[in-house]
Amino acid sequence: MAETPQKSFHSPRKAHKPSPSTPIIPQTPQTVTPSRSSRQVSSPDPSDLRRSSRRSSLQFLEPEKRSSKATKYVKKGERSKLPVTPDVSEARKRKSPDEGNVVTRARVSRNAGLMRKKRVYYKKVVYDGGEFAVGDDVYVKRRENASSDDEELQVEELFETSAEGGSRRGLDMPVCEARKLGKEVVLPKPPKGKKRKRTAREKLLSSDLWTAHIENIWKEVDGTYWFRGRWYIIPEETAAGRQSHNLRRELYRTNDFADIEMESIIRLCYVMSPKEFTKANNEGDDIFLCEYEYDIHWHSFKRLAEIDNGEEGNEEADNDVDWDYGKDSGSDTEEDMEYEEENVNNLPSGPSPAHAVAANSWKGRIFGLKKIGTKKIPGHVRCHKQTELERAKATLLLATLPKSLPCRTKEMEEITAFIKGAICNDQCLGRCLYIHGVPGTGKTMSVLSVMRNLRSEVDAGSIKPYCFVDINGLKLASPENIYRVIYEALSGHRVGWKKALHLLNERFADESKIAKEEIRPCILLIDELDLLVTRNQSVLYNILDWPTKPHSKLIVIGIANTMDLPEKLLPRISSRMGIQRLCFGPYNYQQLQEIISSRLKGIDAFERQAIEFASRKVAAISGDARRALEICRRAAELADYHIKKLTSPPDSSSEDGTLPLFLASQTGLHFVEKYYPLVPKATVSSLDGSIFLCFPGKALVGMAEVEAAIQEMFQAPQIQVMKSSSKLSKIFLVAMVHELYQTGMAETTFEKLSVTVSCLCTSNGEKFPGWDTLLRVGCKLGECRIILCEAGAKHRLQKLQLNFPSDDVAFALKDDKELPWLAKYL
Amino acid sequence: MPSIGAVRSESSGEVRSGSGSTPQKRRSISGGPISPPSPVKWKSPRRSVNGSPKTPSKEIEKDSDAKATRLHKSPMKNLSEIFLDKSKWNPGDSKQMSAAKEALHVSTVPSTVVCREDEQNRIMDFCKACIEHEKAGSLYACGCPGTGKSLSMEKVRRALVDWAGQAGFQPPDLLSINCTSLTNTQEIFSKILEKHQPRKKTKSSTSPLQHLRNIYSKKQQSSGMKMMLIIADELDYLITRDRTVLHDLFMLTTLPFSSCILIGVSNAIDLADRFLPKLQSLNCKPMVVTFRAYSKDQILKILQQRLMALPFPVFQPQALELCARKVAAASGDMRKALSVCRSVLEIVEAELRESVNSLSVSSEKGAFDQQTLPALDSLTNQEINIVRVDHMATALSKTFRSPIVDTIQSLPQHQQIILCSAVKLFRGGKKDTTVGELNKSYVDICKSVLVPPIGILELSSMCRVLSDQGLLKLGQAREDKLKRVTLKVDEADIAFALQGIRFFRNCLQ
Repeated sequence: MAETPQKSFHSPRKAHKPSPSTPIIPQTPQTVTPSRSSRQVSSPDPSDLRRSSRRSSLQFLEPEKRSSKATKYVKKGERSKLPVTPDVSEARKRKSPDEGNVVTRARVSRNAGLMRKKRVYYKKVVYDGGEFAVGDDVYVKRRENASSDDEELQVEELFETSAEGGSRRGLDMPVCEARKLGKEVVLPKPPKGKKRKRTAREKLLSSDLWTAHIENIWKEVDGTYWFRGRWYIIPEETAAGRQSHNLRRELYRTNDFADIEMESIIRLCYVMSPKEFTKANNEGDDIFLCEYEYDIHWHSFKRLAEIDNGEEGNEEADNDVDWDYGKDSGSDTEEDMEYEEENVNNLPSGPSPAHAVAANSWKGRIFGLKKIGTKKIPGHVRCHKQTELERAKATLLLATLPKSLPCRTKEMEEITAFIKGAICNDQCLGRCLYIHGVPGTGKTMSVLSVMRNLRSEVDAGSIKPYCFVDINGLKLASPENIYRVIYEALSGHRVGWKKALHLLNERFADESKIAKEEIRPCILLIDELDLLVTRNQSVLYNILDWPTKPHSKLIVIGIANTMDLPEKLLPRISSRMGIQRLCFGPYNYQQLQEIISSRLKGIDAFERQAIEFASRKVAAISGDARRALEICRRAAELADYHIKKLTSPPDSSSEDGTLPLFLASQTGLHFVEKYYPLVPKATVSSLDGSIFLCFPGKALVGMAEVEAAIQEMFQAPQIQVMKSSSKLSKIFLVAMVHELYQTGMAETTFEKLSVTVSCLCTSNGEKFPGWDTLLRVGCKLGECRIILCEAGAKHRLQKLQLNFPSDDVAFALKDDKELPWLAKYL
Repeated sequence: MPSIGAVRSESSGEVRSGSGSTPQKRRSISGGPISPPSPVKWKSPRRSVNGSPKTPSKEIEKDSDAKATRLHKSPMKNLSEIFLDKSKWNPGDSKQMSAAKEALHVSTVPSTVVCREDEQNRIMDFCKACIEHEKAGSLYACGCPGTGKSLSMEKVRRALVDWAGQAGFQPPDLLSINCTSLTNTQEIFSKILEKHQPRKKTKSSTSPLQHLRNIYSKKQQSSGMKMMLIIADELDYLITRDRTVLHDLFMLTTLPFSSCILIGVSNAIDLADRFLPKLQSLNCKPMVVTFRAYSKDQILKILQQRLMALPFPVFQPQALELCARKVAAASGDMRKALSVCRSVLEIVEAELRESVNSLSVSSEKGAFDQQTLPALDSLTNQEINIVRVDHMATALSKTFRSPIVDTIQSLPQHQQIILCSAVKLFRGGKKDTTVGELNKSYVDICKSVLVPPIGILELSSMCRVLSDQGLLKLGQAREDKLKRVTLKVDEADIAFALQGIRFFRNCLQ
């Protein structure tokens, strides 16, 4: 970038900059013109102006210091407007002193617009006298040519009354129009009598105005200022409409974004969380309450986390992450890719259904770099190229969602058919499906992926929209709380479970309600269904009874491990549950192999036999896909670990012979088998260094690592404990086994045992440690639960028993290096 | 007769022609010993059956009368004739399919409740008597799930209001409560009280129960004390440890000026005897109406009645009968019969989808089906336009078949070995064992077949998985090793499931 020439090039332009800026605001009719003139008043010194603009041009050159510059700049702007304020308000005959910040229209910032080929982002901007920062909430004009709105605003400002005006109900449109007309009549000369006025708040609540949350602010290439806003909507605009529990000043935050020109901002308002709302006192009329986020596509409510309303600096990033979680918690692994997709989706779709385009938004222009506010990825992160092994490790994590879900297509088809069969017709017939299967067979995953697919079909318009409520029985504080969770998900309102039960009964079971037609079908997914079984099973009864009611439009999908749960329930419940069952059997080894290799597609890190070995092993024991993935991941970790060990001390590996020893001491014998053939190659190549470093990247995870991982996972920990225990404990254990062999009795007393121990010791040249030491050793083993011992009060007559089969002891201590003589007693 | 049929078909938007002779013939065949139970409340089955286009049902009636022992030989010819002149059901049409599904859905309330007239009349008579004499009373209806209790109550309730209007009595207040939806058992009294005095705010000093007692024990000053019909569904949810709620509820009907007619509905047949012994001594034991499980004929009749709403035949009569017989034999639960019918429709749908995918294959298959089913021999239908017996058999086997053998066969190898070792352990006549002993036996087997055994921790978690699948029963114990283990499936099942594997055949010898 050639900054300096441009800078010199731009400074002369500034002189005639104000003139092109005037035609940019054609949409604001004569009412705004006084403000334009006031701008001239407010910028008294042209030199000052130039200085400021130069400063702003400087700030373009140093993007790192951008924010600090911007704030400084803001301070300056404030300084310049301070002396002007009184006479401007005089000129405009404002009677409201509390509205001072709106009155001053020191639009210095506008003049600073420079022709650049880039957008410049700001944290804080003084625009038209108002100070707008990222994270603020603002009123936005509803449409272009909204002259009546502007006038009304004037009216409102003229006859400002107390902040806590009336609590008028949301008005329907005709009344609003009438009001408007009335006011326009009133406008020329303010009468002394009763005057109807509408504050910005009231206009918002009758949806003549909008509010938005500023996500970020930038200056466009043509010098106009824009911001990306996140819309708020009033309860009337949600699918559910205004409900009795909605507060007067309640707004919902949406997931609907729009790029809006700063020109359409009216002024600041304050949208707060309930906690802040209760404390707020001096913000005036423009305070609102926002407790829930509303999904405009899915018409669902989600309570905002407290943290969301935190600091403003990284609000944008926070929101995005949060949103990703809420929408599809991991439909895609890469987060930024997801974000990009979303933007791409947003771009062509244009204005969302909930909000038309705000005043002077983009007029058909689409800019490639619409994604904004992305932070630069630090260089050192980028230049580190992940090795195949590291990528393999990442994809094998249980948390990563695979791109494809092999081996469950049949079940997924069945689930899809079930749901579609229930909701596709005009009338939704309530149904119930019970899914069971052993852990780790993809039950929940299949249902969720089916729901994702259906969601895209809804987007495409082939299926009518529906509600989807996902509940995990394990996450409920008590089974009854499920009513509360369901009700909150359906209506966005929190009530106690008793009240929720009542309301849900009304919604699902009460036939007298006529407004059933608008209710959309509801799909209720209950994971870990068996946890909802209470003593009298009334929770399950209620939930499974609703689908059998006419007009309930409820579809219940229950997931649990137990195959015969319906049979264990009361007959009246299993009768209502119906006969729709779906069994997820344990995976066989081919399926496990396919699952692992589909995850590792494109990553060349595993030998084929290694994968097969792992999957065969798991399939023989449990058929749990989680376990198979864990084993492979652990194997990859082990391999990675050893390769790193290999590369980090190159000196030790350079000498022939030391490497295998080093490996053997670190990891155990099987690794030597693997690397031994490679060692000559490695040492040869290590002479020139660079090739040597390439060699570990090529390493594949082989049988040896998988074997080690399986050992770690399946081998009982007691062997490890026995192997690593003290010398005396080993003797103690061997004595117990010996005793067992001799007497054939599982139980022995401490007295007998100590005799055996002393025999062993004396005949093998060990020193007998004494009774109290022996007793202490026994206690320690008892604490480890290697042996089971009675309470210590009996001392010598304490009964002892091995907790594990004697074979385990024999296996662990047979080839002990320290005490080779132990083997002959085993 | 044909006139009714014409009316019906008109109403359903179907044009029937040339069927004048056939119905007559049919009637002559089937005019047999079906006794229309009570023509008061619903149309006699004969009439409706004859009149409806749903002719195959007639065959069933006849068949069932003949005790259905012989094979469907003679009606076959008749059947094929009928099929030819009937409007065909096209399962490919999604509208027709969904209409069929809706007719068979549990939530669809039929216009008349068939096969429960007797019980309904008894309840009705009881209520009428109560209202006529302005006397309180209690009734208890019991029966297995899915036998139409709640549905009948709903009908009675409606009928009672109509009757009261016609007979010139003051219509009673109606209150139907499902006791599962109460958050607290005492809440039922406040609900009753609320119904009594919708305006008045109850004083906090007296409980709702107290208040109700006061109302019912005093003579009402105004003559217009309305009777109240309380229908309490799932009454057994009111059973508390000291049974006071249930007792108090029934005692309300014994008070001198009580005006409530209490109808309790539940599954337990002896609930009144067990929990209300005191009422017996007061000689105001509730009258008990028992809803028996549906018999095969009743299920059939109900299914037919539901399908009558459709202008086209959906099920082959034999298919319906198979379903009815199977369900009646298993539980007599109407819900089950309905869901079986529904799943049959889904099977047909799936089959249709397949046949669309591979048309040539499906036509071949259709030909094959025709050979196997002599009933359809004379027909030249290439595509499915009726639910056949084989479809129904598939659905029924899906529902009623025990999945144990399949489950055992799909188990991981080690779990199969555990089952084997359990079988071996229990050979000696032992009833149960502990996980520790099971482990010993398991390790022995593993050693004998040279399979490395898994540790005991792993084994106990696998035992839990097996108990989840209903193969083992795992008792409670503080220590994993000491948990009791019993086999929940028959030894023979395991032997059968594993007989294909030589490895296990040796184990189980």
